[in-house]
Amino acid sequence: MAGPDDDELLDAIAALWEKLDPPPDDLAEGVLARIETNDLDAELLTLVEWDKELSGVRSVAMLRAPDEVGTWSLEYLGPGFRVQLRISRSQRQARLDGWVVPAQPMTVFLTSMGAKPTTDETQVGESGRFEFPVTPTGACRLTFVSDPSSTRPLVTPPFWI
Amino acid sequence: MVSVSEGFGTEVPASARWTASAAAFTAWRDGDRDALDELVRLLSPILWQVVRATGLDRATAEDVVQNTWLTLVDNAEAISSPLAVSGWLCTTARREAWKVSKRVRREVATDGDVLSWALPAVDGPEDGIVLADDQVVLRRCLSRISERCQSLLRMLAAGPRPEYAEVSEALDMPVGSIGPTRARCLDKLRGELISEGAF
Repeated sequence: MAGPDDDELLDAIAALWEKLDPPPDDLAEGVLARIETNDLDAELLTLVEWDKELSGVRSVAMLRAPDEVGTWSLEYLGPGFRVQLRISRSQRQARLDGWVVPAQPMTVFLTSMGAKPTTDETQVGESGRFEFPVTPTGACRLTFVSDPSSTRPLVTPPFWI
Repeated sequence: MVSVSEGFGTEVPASARWTASAAAFTAWRDGDRDALDELVRLLSPILWQVVRATGLDRATAEDVVQNTWLTLVDNAEAISSPLAVSGWLCTTARREAWKVSKRVRREVATDGDVLSWALPAVDGPEDGIVLADDQVVLRRCLSRISERCQSLLRMLAAGPRPEYAEVSEALDMPVGSIGPTRARCLDKLRGELISEGAF
């Protein structure tokens, strides 16, 4: 029979799927951040909720295009608590509001993971609320340390602000 | 390893990717941390295809790809030859994906939301993707063969050609029937392509 041989056909199928189903743009970054987190000897929080209708072809952690403005939310599950995040981005800057449920005393660090990493710090209030009124943009992650520190720090996988 | 035939178009010949991966893996094992970045960038897109071919949704697939790399970091010394690294990663990813999809299938009724092997709907995540003319024809022809054939061919096509034993496990088919089924599916596809006048 004329036509391509089996290997050529399979290669063509592979190439078609690479086009139809490309990986998230930040797939490799997510992997590297996860490896790095693993090296930190911290425990990873699990992403359990996000604005599903927004995720599109981007990674679940990168809900909006970098220049988009608006508000979106993420929720992570840790041992014995949940963290809800609301990210609001305007033209000029972004802010992050968070709630730890149930409320418990913790120190929260927001680390940007760009070429020049920065870290901001705040405390979880009595109601479980915490905030970073001005945040860096790009790939970030949060680290939660219990007060007094008794367990390993808990970190989120990288997410996009 | 054959690179994708000219007519169907591709960016990187597969063989170059495996050679570059072997070099990066060697460098990383010799203490060059940056080489791990390169390895991850080279092979993660392949692992993505391998995992997605098992039918997992995008978020779960991303998680499986990350776990696969953690397994490599923890077991690097288990890989005997640097050239084996891509095969090892793909096998690990496929097994992990299969384990997860089995669990998902037990927990959720398979309404196609979490597990989906078939070609994506027209308004799916591939909006705005431009296919070459021959890819449009190939896609049309693929959609005319059975879903089982589509999923088998996608799985066999992703990454370095997998062992039949792994595919048998993932698709719940006897090992002995993979070869004949593969031949039958490819023949059906070839028939469709010929009837489209693609050759």
